[in-house]
Amino acid sequence: MVAVDASGATRVTKPKADNRQARTGWMLATPALVLMVLILLVPIILAGVLSFTNYSLGNSGFGWVGLQNYERLFARSTYEKMFVATFTYVVTVVPISVGLGLGAALLVHSLGRIGDIYKTIYFLPVMATLLAMAIAWEFMLHPTIGMVNRTLEMACGTWLEVIPFFAGGCADGFPIWLGDRDYAIWVVCFIGIWQGFGFNMVLFLAGLTSVHRELYHAAEMDGARSGWERFRLVTWPALGPTTVFVVTISCIRAFQVFDTIEAFWPQGGGPNKSAYVMMFAIFEKGIQQNLIGIGSAITMLFLLFVMFLTLIQRWLVERKVHY
Amino acid sequence: MSDLHIASVTKLFGETSVLKGVTLDVKDGEFISLVGPSGCGKSTLLRIIAGLETPTTGTIAIGGADVTQLRAADRNLSMVFQSYALYPHLTVAENIAVPLQMRQMTALQRLPLLGGLLPSARAQAGDIAQAVSHAAQILEIAPLLDRKPGQLSGGQRQRVALGRALVRDPAAFLLDEPLSNLDAKLRVQTRTEIAELHRRLQATFIYVTHDQVEAMTMSDRIAVMMGGEILQCAPPDVIYEDPDDIRVAEFIGSPKINILPVERNGTVLTVFDQVLSAHFSADSPKLMQMGLRPEALRLTQTAPLLTGRVVHLENLGAEIFAQVALDSNGSRVTLRAIPAQRHSLGLGVQVGLSFDLNSVMLFDADGARLRKAEVAATRAAEVA
Repeated sequence: MVAVDASGATRVTKPKADNRQARTGWMLATPALVLMVLILLVPIILAGVLSFTNYSLGNSGFGWVGLQNYERLFARSTYEKMFVATFTYVVTVVPISVGLGLGAALLVHSLGRIGDIYKTIYFLPVMATLLAMAIAWEFMLHPTIGMVNRTLEMACGTWLEVIPFFAGGCADGFPIWLGDRDYAIWVVCFIGIWQGFGFNMVLFLAGLTSVHRELYHAAEMDGARSGWERFRLVTWPALGPTTVFVVTISCIRAFQVFDTIEAFWPQGGGPNKSAYVMMFAIFEKGIQQNLIGIGSAITMLFLLFVMFLTLIQRWLVERKVHY
Repeated sequence: MSDLHIASVTKLFGETSVLKGVTLDVKDGEFISLVGPSGCGKSTLLRIIAGLETPTTGTIAIGGADVTQLRAADRNLSMVFQSYALYPHLTVAENIAVPLQMRQMTALQRLPLLGGLLPSARAQAGDIAQAVSHAAQILEIAPLLDRKPGQLSGGQRQRVALGRALVRDPAAFLLDEPLSNLDAKLRVQTRTEIAELHRRLQATFIYVTHDQVEAMTMSDRIAVMMGGEILQCAPPDVIYEDPDDIRVAEFIGSPKINILPVERNGTVLTVFDQVLSAHFSADSPKLMQMGLRPEALRLTQTAPLLTGRVVHLENLGAEIFAQVALDSNGSRVTLRAIPAQRHSLGLGVQVGLSFDLNSVMLFDADGARLRKAEVAATRAAEVA
């Protein structure tokens, strides 16, 4: 009887202790939860709700418009241009800046002390304010007095005129870069790559330090003669987690491109809206034109893309690149 | 399989001289251990043999051909690393297959997707798979072939590293402290297995270790290295019983050899003023060092050469090691006793010790062995 009583007693007290521990746990998590809800979830939900309305800042009320904002996004040519510009930018900038970052990291890593100088040089654009840099680029790309076209003109009259680009440029004038709808988005891409690859390089350099040196010796003993074979056998697999991270970060940063476009074309996202990227669209619709509804709809779409990318990254990290 | 010839190899790292003229000949099929304390240059020597480091001077020849200028990949040697250095993204089978793929398949055949479509590559892959499963059978790791190194225990990883080394037919196997990351029990087991593997493959093994037990139990010959030199290279029993140098004598043997000062006054040889030999007639220095293995000392009541007090006892069951603080100068000597003598040993007990002169090793003040003096001392004792 005593034994039964005792076991009964423990059965009662144990859940109590568990409860108390659970309560303490929740209490300790509360501040973080409150903050997360307040500064992350509430704004997102608000934006989600607003994307179904025609609300404008200053209006006392708003009307529900259903999916109208989203329909516009997929129907109007302006937004088609927005998607084209955004995806052109992402698809160009991400692979090139990741590739260049990796290449620069491998080269810098193979150098000794001098590597630090290159590291600093390649990292400078990352540290610089993109807005200020964009203004400098604007001067350089000026069609007549800009450094770029002046330099290109020097090729006129030389054998370089064999190349069609120079032949055409010398005859009819070189491109006006920022004012040409065929070039504008590519210039923005170029600046994005120039500005971003140093950051990727630093991430890859950090990844490279974690590669076990004995693995290279093992690869050499196993007959991996060329640098490419060693790269494929040791370096590249070891950089897997870093690469997934770098690609994700680069994608998200590429989706967020804004300051260059705002600096070059404050009035409208490039010639013929050829550089009208999502971030700029959100800014133009939501802030400049006070169309909160459509701005929120673009924001939700933007969030969806970024969320999708993050999920892919999570999946890759868990499945593929951790050994 | 072929012999290996290392001729006066030196290695400088900046100003530091790591190897000071090492010469070593390894016969075909021999198991040779490079043993020494950490920092003695044994790993550097192994890496120079492998081709992962270039010697500052000197030459390496494998099977009569000078390979000093050849890179590691072209030397046809296999190496097992201390950290095993398995490729973490490849399965066990793929890891073992790497040396064969790298050497037997062309770059085109190795291409990830395209390679699989080439008929020649398929035939090669079949051969390689067979070689891998054969190696896996030898090492009994066949059930692990589909796992990744991250899912293996230390001992299993070690076997995979061995498998990767033996899957092709190298001129020699180089092993760099392969057991140092294993626990004690597994180490003993793997030790036996590596020795058996050597007997089975009849291949040349060069084995680097700091553990004298590994060196003593596995090798045909041991090269004891210290301070960038090989002090002595000989079979294990010779290294133990007949060392050339006091550093070799001190390094090999556990517990450590006892070293006592010996003095010569004319023809009289004394240790702590106890006459060892009265008619010693050899040309030897006045001050010498005497090496006595713990098993050379014996307990005695009558006319002991050394007296002292037991200060520490280690009972290992089959044998007892007693540390005795000598009365003459307080230095400690270690004595090996058999369990039957347990009653006469106790902490603080006064004991008398004696030894045979022919079990004594004499060294000069610098540590070089004085074999002539030993012969003379033994002979003088017999005369007396």
